[in-house]
Amino acid sequence: MDYPIWDLAMGGGVLIGIVAIAHVIVSHFAVGGGIAIAVTETLAIRRGDPTLRGLAKRSSLMLILVSTVFGAISGVGIWVTIGLVQPAATSSLIHLFVWGWAAEWGFFILEVATALLYWATWEKIRPRAHVVIGWLYAFAAFMSLVIIQGIISFMLTPGRWLETRSFWDGIFNPTYAPGLVLRTGICLFLAGAFMALSALREAELSARARLTRLMAGYQVAGILIAYGGYRWWEAALPDSVRTIFGGDTPLLATLAATRSLALWLLTAYLAFALLTLLLPRAQRWPVAAIALILAAGFFGSYERLREGSRKPFVIRDHMFSNGILVGEIASLNEKGILSKAVWAAREDDGTTIGKGRAVFRAQCSSCHTLDGYLAIRPLVATVDEDMLGGILGTLRAQGEAFTQGDGPVATEKLDYPLMPPLVGTDEEVEALKAYLIGLQPSHTEEVARAN
Amino acid sequence: MPTNLVPALDPAPLPGPPWLFHLLWVVTFLVHLLFVNAVLGGSILAALAGPRTGGRETQGFFVAANSWAISFAITFGIAPLLFMQVLFGRFFYSATILVAWAWFGMLGLLLAGYYLNYVAKYRLRDGKPATAILGVEALCFLAIAAIQVTVNLLHLRPARWQGVADRAWSALADPTFLPRFLHFVLAAVAMAGVMLAFVAVRRAARGADAATSRSMAGYGLKAALVTTMLQLADGFWLLFALPEDVLRSFMRGGAATMVPLTLGILAGVVLLVVLAQITDPLAQAAKVRRVAELIVGAIVVMVVTRHQLRDFYLSEARADEQVTVATQWGALLLFLAVFVLCLGLVFYAFRRAATDRPSQGEQAA
Repeated sequence: MDYPIWDLAMGGGVLIGIVAIAHVIVSHFAVGGGIAIAVTETLAIRRGDPTLRGLAKRSSLMLILVSTVFGAISGVGIWVTIGLVQPAATSSLIHLFVWGWAAEWGFFILEVATALLYWATWEKIRPRAHVVIGWLYAFAAFMSLVIIQGIISFMLTPGRWLETRSFWDGIFNPTYAPGLVLRTGICLFLAGAFMALSALREAELSARARLTRLMAGYQVAGILIAYGGYRWWEAALPDSVRTIFGGDTPLLATLAATRSLALWLLTAYLAFALLTLLLPRAQRWPVAAIALILAAGFFGSYERLREGSRKPFVIRDHMFSNGILVGEIASLNEKGILSKAVWAAREDDGTTIGKGRAVFRAQCSSCHTLDGYLAIRPLVATVDEDMLGGILGTLRAQGEAFTQGDGPVATEKLDYPLMPPLVGTDEEVEALKAYLIGLQPSHTEEVARAN
Repeated sequence: MPTNLVPALDPAPLPGPPWLFHLLWVVTFLVHLLFVNAVLGGSILAALAGPRTGGRETQGFFVAANSWAISFAITFGIAPLLFMQVLFGRFFYSATILVAWAWFGMLGLLLAGYYLNYVAKYRLRDGKPATAILGVEALCFLAIAAIQVTVNLLHLRPARWQGVADRAWSALADPTFLPRFLHFVLAAVAMAGVMLAFVAVRRAARGADAATSRSMAGYGLKAALVTTMLQLADGFWLLFALPEDVLRSFMRGGAATMVPLTLGILAGVVLLVVLAQITDPLAQAAKVRRVAELIVGAIVVMVVTRHQLRDFYLSEARADEQVTVATQWGALLLFLAVFVLCLGLVFYAFRRAATDRPSQGEQAA
C-alpha cells in the first residue's frame, strides 16, 4: 500500500493468475514426471523392457526442456510478478518463511543438477546408476513441493500462526496436509497425461498398448488421490472460507461455478482415464490430448478457487488484498491512509478530488481499475451520492469488526464480506466519495462541457 | 505531496541475524555471478566466433556449457534475491515497480535466450550455422544485464524515484549506469574468454586437435586481454562517477573498503601482465591456469566492494531503520541441514555418473 503502484488494465491479480497457473502446471508435471519417469525406468530395468526404457528417455527430454527451463523461469516469474503487484504481501511472506524458501532452494539445486545429469548420461553410465540419479531428481522435486505447499496453504489458512507467530505453525497449517495430498495426486496424473502422448510415439502396437495402460494407471491413481485430497481440503477450510463458494447460497456465485466446473472436469477426466485403462489399444492422440486438457482444466480451476477463496485477504485474517494489515486499521483511521500510502498520496494535489483519487489508489486499485478489469466506473455509474455514502460508511464500519473482536472475524456475516474495510479519516472518506461521484458519466460530461 | 517515498520497514522481525543474511547473500551472489558471467560472456564470444577462432568448436563449447550454466545462473540467482529481499525489500520492490514492464519483460528475454541456446545447440549438432541465433541470444542476455543494472542503481537512490515515476526512461540517466553496465559486460567476456582458454588447453592435453585448441585458447585469451585493458579504464570511470557522498564515505572506510578495492585493482593489473605474457597457450598451461585464478579472485573482491558500496548508498535512507530480530532457530537449522544434504547428494550424483561407467560389452542406461 505504501509502495509505487503498477497500473495494469488487466488487473494485477489476473497477471499473477496467468503466470501462476502456467507455472504450477509445469512445476507439478516436473514433480510427477520425476516420479513417473523413475518408476518407468525402474520397471524397464527389472523387466528388461526396452520400450519402457524408450518411454522414460523420450519423456526425460521433455522434463528438461519444460521443467528446468520453463519451470525455473516461470517460478522466478511468480516471484517477480507478486513483488510487482503485491510487494507488501511478498515482503511479509519473505520475512516469515525465508528459511523455508531457502531450504526449498537447496532441493532446487539438487533438482536442476540431477535433471540435467539424468538427461546427459543416457547411454553413458550403468542403468542402475542412471536410475539412482532419476530417483534423486524425483526426491528433490517432491521435497520442494512438500515445503512450498506450506507457504501456499498458509496464505489461505494461517491457523494457529495468528496467535503464536511460529514458523512451524505457519507451515503446518490446517490445509497443509490435505493440499499436499491433493497436489501429489495432481502431480501424478499430469505426468501420466503428458507421458501418455509420448507413449503414442511407440511404433509397435502391443508395446504401445502396454505403455498406454501404464500411463492410464498413473492417471487413475492420481485422480483418485487428488479427489480424496480435494474433499479433505474442503473439509479443513474454516466456515468463513467455505461459504464463499459452498453451501446453498455461496457468497460468490462465479467461484461456486468454478468449484462445480473443477469437479465435473475431474469426473470427465476419470472417465477418459478409465476408458484408456480398459481399452488401451483404442487410445489415439486426440483422446490423450483431451485428457491432458481436462487434467490442466481441473488444476487451473482448483487454483482459481483457492486464490478466490482468500477474499478479502491476501494472507487470511492478517493482511487484506490491498496490503493493509488487520492490526493497523485503528491507527490508519486516526492518522489517515495517506499518512502511510506515500506513493498514492502523490495524486493528492490539494483538491478534494485529488485526495479522493489518492485514497482510491491506496485502497482500491489493487483490485479495481478505472475502466479495465473490475472497472470502478460502471460500478458507480448508477448509484446516487446518498447510496454511495451509505456503502462507504458500511465499508468503514466493517473495520470495527476487526479492531474490536478477539481472533478471526466471521467475514461471511459482514455486509460486504468480499471487500476489505475502508480505512482512513472522515475527510479521506468524503474525498473518496467525491472522486467516485466524479467518475459518473453525467459528471464527466459536465466537466467536458465546462472545459 | 510526500517528500520521502521510501516505504515503511516491514513490521515483521528479521528471522535471523543481519550478518548471516549479508554473508549468505554475498556468497550465493558470487556463485550466481560466476554462472552469469559464463552465460553472458560465453554467448557474446560464441556469437562473435569466426572461422579463425575455432568457430564451430568454440560455439559448440559455449552452447554446451550454457545449457548447464543458464540453469545454474537462475538457480543460484534465487538465493541472493531471497536474502536481499529480507534486508532491503522496501528499496528493491520500489525500484522494480518503477520499471515494472522492463523487470517483468526480463522473464521473456530469459526464456528466449535459454531456448535459443537449445536451438543453437541442436543446429550445431546437425552441422547447420547458428551464428545469427547466438547473436540474438547474446542480445537477450545483454538486455537482461542492462535491466539488472538499472534496477540495482535505482534501488540505491530513493532520491531519483520521484523523477523515474514521472518519466520511466530517466531510470537510465544515472551517471554510473554506463560504466557499471560496461563493468559487468567486460568482466563477463573476460571470464568467459579465460574459461574457453582453460578448457581448450585441457582438451589439448587430453589429445584433442592441437591447432583447433590453440585457436580456441588464443581467441579466449585475446578477448580477455582486450576486455581487461578496457576494464581498467572503465573501473576508474565507474569509481569516479560514483556520487560524491558515496565515494567520500567509501574512501574513508579504512582497511575494510580499501583492501578489497586495492586487491581488485591489483588482480586486474597482474591479470593484464600475465595475459600479455602468453604467446602459446598450449605450451604455457600454468600461466593459463594462473589467469583463471586471478580473474576469479578479482571477481570475489569486487563482489565484496559492490556490497560495501550499497551500504554507503543507502546509509541516509536507512538512518532511522530500527530492525528487530527474532531468529527462527529451528527453521534456520532446517535450511542448513537441507543445504548440506543436497550439496552432498549433488556431489554423489556427479561422482557416480563419472565413475559408474559400463565396461566393454556391458549395456549402458
